[in-house]
Amino acid sequence: MNDTVRLGRASAAFALAAAVTILFNTVLACVKDAYPPLSRFMGSLAGHNWTTQGFADIVLFFGLGFVFTKTGWAARIGSERLIFLLAGAVVVAGVGLAAWYALF
Amino acid sequence: MSITASDAILLAHATFGALGILSALWVFVEALNAREGNASRIRTGAAGVAASMILAYILGGYWYLHFYPSEKAIILRGPWPFAHNLFMETKEHLFFLTLILALYLPIVAADKLYANAMARKMALCVALLIVVTGMAIEGAGAVIDHGVKVALLRERVKNHE
Repeated sequence: MNDTVRLGRASAAFALAAAVTILFNTVLACVKDAYPPLSRFMGSLAGHNWTTQGFADIVLFFGLGFVFTKTGWAARIGSERLIFLLAGAVVVAGVGLAAWYALF
Repeated sequence: MSITASDAILLAHATFGALGILSALWVFVEALNAREGNASRIRTGAAGVAASMILAYILGGYWYLHFYPSEKAIILRGPWPFAHNLFMETKEHLFFLTLILALYLPIVAADKLYANAMARKMALCVALLIVVTGMAIEGAGAVIDHGVKVALLRERVKNHE
């Protein structure tokens, strides 16, 4: 069995897109909570700010994924680093959300 | 017996969330033993994770927008306001992490995990993160549900006094 030591181009690209989207999601959640006009604006776009946030996350994930696949930027990052980046983003985003709503 | 649309949608939401978590656990175990023979099972499991989480998202989103506001009001006047202020607020945004990971899992599972050590490692990591965040979300759901229950129990006791 020939073991490859790099993620495929699309896997690498969408891993980076997922990490960016996950961090974006947490930042957006905190910012809209701290700045009600943003929450109201997001609500005016899709009926509810949460709906708009979901659409934004999905569009950003697939949009960045396709851009990173086409440009090959993510493929230049080491695969181990991408795994660490994605796992780190999930931990930071998850703890960040809980801490934000617990403290503010 | 009376089962409302709100009940059915809420239970379906939690069920698809649990199915997504179980499918992610299945993918994790299969990926631990990745070989040519189970490659299609890994891809099927990963697609199952994505499909389950998308359905949990749509059902949960519909319920949250149409039925949750009245339950939120009950929670906030009860003894467990943190069931909304902390647990629901965190849960509704944490869910997007799980959703993005669930959408990504079929993409990495499309690589030959049995021949690509990094793809296998990434699939294991993502499947595990889905299980952990999914369990946290299910737990938060239970706290929110209990927040409604203790609020209604308190109102009932007050009414009987």
